[in-house]
Amino acid sequence: MTGTGVTLASVSIDLQVHDTYFVVAHFHYVLIGGAVFPLFGAFYYWFPKWTGRLLDSRLGWINVALTFVGFHLTFWPMHALGLGGMTRRRYTYPAETNWGSLNALATVGAFLMGLGVLTFILNVLWSRKRGRLAGGNPWDADTLEWATTSPPPAWGFDQIPTCYGRAPMWENPPDAATVTGLTLRKRQVLCTTLLDAAPDHRYDLAGESIWPLLTAVSVAGMLLLGGIFNPWWAVIFLGVMALALFGWFWTSTAARNEPNVFRRGISQPKGDSDER
Amino acid sequence: MSDSHTAIETVDREGRCVIDVSALPTSVYGSRSPVWWGNTLLMLTESMSVGLCVAAYFYVRQNFASWPPPNPNAQPPLFHPTPDLPLPSAELGVMLASCALMYWIDRAARALDATRAKLGLWTVFAIVLVLIVCRFYEFRAVHFRWNDNAYASIVWTLLGLHLTYLLVAAGEFFILAAWLCCASLDEHHAHDINLTGIYWYWTVAVWALLYAVIYLGARML
Repeated sequence: MTGTGVTLASVSIDLQVHDTYFVVAHFHYVLIGGAVFPLFGAFYYWFPKWTGRLLDSRLGWINVALTFVGFHLTFWPMHALGLGGMTRRRYTYPAETNWGSLNALATVGAFLMGLGVLTFILNVLWSRKRGRLAGGNPWDADTLEWATTSPPPAWGFDQIPTCYGRAPMWENPPDAATVTGLTLRKRQVLCTTLLDAAPDHRYDLAGESIWPLLTAVSVAGMLLLGGIFNPWWAVIFLGVMALALFGWFWTSTAARNEPNVFRRGISQPKGDSDER
Repeated sequence: MSDSHTAIETVDREGRCVIDVSALPTSVYGSRSPVWWGNTLLMLTESMSVGLCVAAYFYVRQNFASWPPPNPNAQPPLFHPTPDLPLPSAELGVMLASCALMYWIDRAARALDATRAKLGLWTVFAIVLVLIVCRFYEFRAVHFRWNDNAYASIVWTLLGLHLTYLLVAAGEFFILAAWLCCASLDEHHAHDINLTGIYWYWTVAVWALLYAVIYLGARML
């Protein structure tokens, strides 16, 4: 919301436009332009990694054209309406104000934006099944998520990749080293040094467990029941949370020593089967 | 780190370049470990809470002519009801001494000496239980109920805030000691004991600060 505040936090401007349509226009301009458009962009960018299929390009152009034009048509006139004295949160106004035409323009823009979003939904539904196959890296992008297949397997990578720079997909040599030596028998990850990212130690994560959920539920109980109904709930659920944390500690260690909670149902390679 | 605990660049059976990390340790101490960061950042955020409460104490001081304010409702009335000094002073001494014990436990755990670590953890757990019981007598020694005035409220808040740290420490000491009674001491749990020790040193340091604010502040401000 920071972006919405920069202009309106200025006292001289706020004095003029406070509680007018200018405010509504301005924060929608900032939020949709600054957050919603990038969200759509990210969806187009990562949809192929997620589903293995590209969104349709032609529908995408229609989507962006409708949304872009509709967006400006909706919210730009509202700035002018606000400066012209129209207050926010009003549903009607006398004809003598001459706000009619600009409001009509904004209504047309809103419908165009709606059509744009509809195009997007149709694009997703259609491309999910019939879109062009993406392959691992359809954009020739530089970051590591594009090094694995689309969609990726549950374990991310068969071989843990290494980075030779900030853009590994562009900078890595074809025979770039991969990492081996982590066990498959438990959830083990590789920790690196903070600045140089050199391999430092192997870190055992906890296995599957119900205790984190119980901890979260007790936090919710503390804040919701304790905050709204009776403060003693907070004390009670604090105790529950302590028990849940004890249980979490106790069983996570057991799970850490339990073989083969990782990659269940997938056949292990022969030989040095506890390493990858 | 010795040479046997490093990643080795080598070639796998298909002739591909690989970095073999199988010799790397699975438990490390200090800022290399993610858990160390979790513990440290917890202490950082809690230090912020303590700092805000201490700032509130000094802010509230501005609103009173005398400090602590007189308590006319007491029988007989108290005109300068400073909180009693002996018990919290004794607590401070015990806590500082327990830091030496904690350091000894940490050394034993790093050496994977389960017997000494277990003995030390049960001892420090008992010490914290005593400290928690003492804390309830300290509330009484403030000579005000928590809702009598702003001075009483902020002092009770500071004592209560530190009481939660004692309760957390008691829980940690208990669970680690209980674990050592049921299982052997491995490197992961030696690391847990090390982090609990760091948290305990921090708890003691916070008490040293609060002791100065609550007990010396009431006499000097």
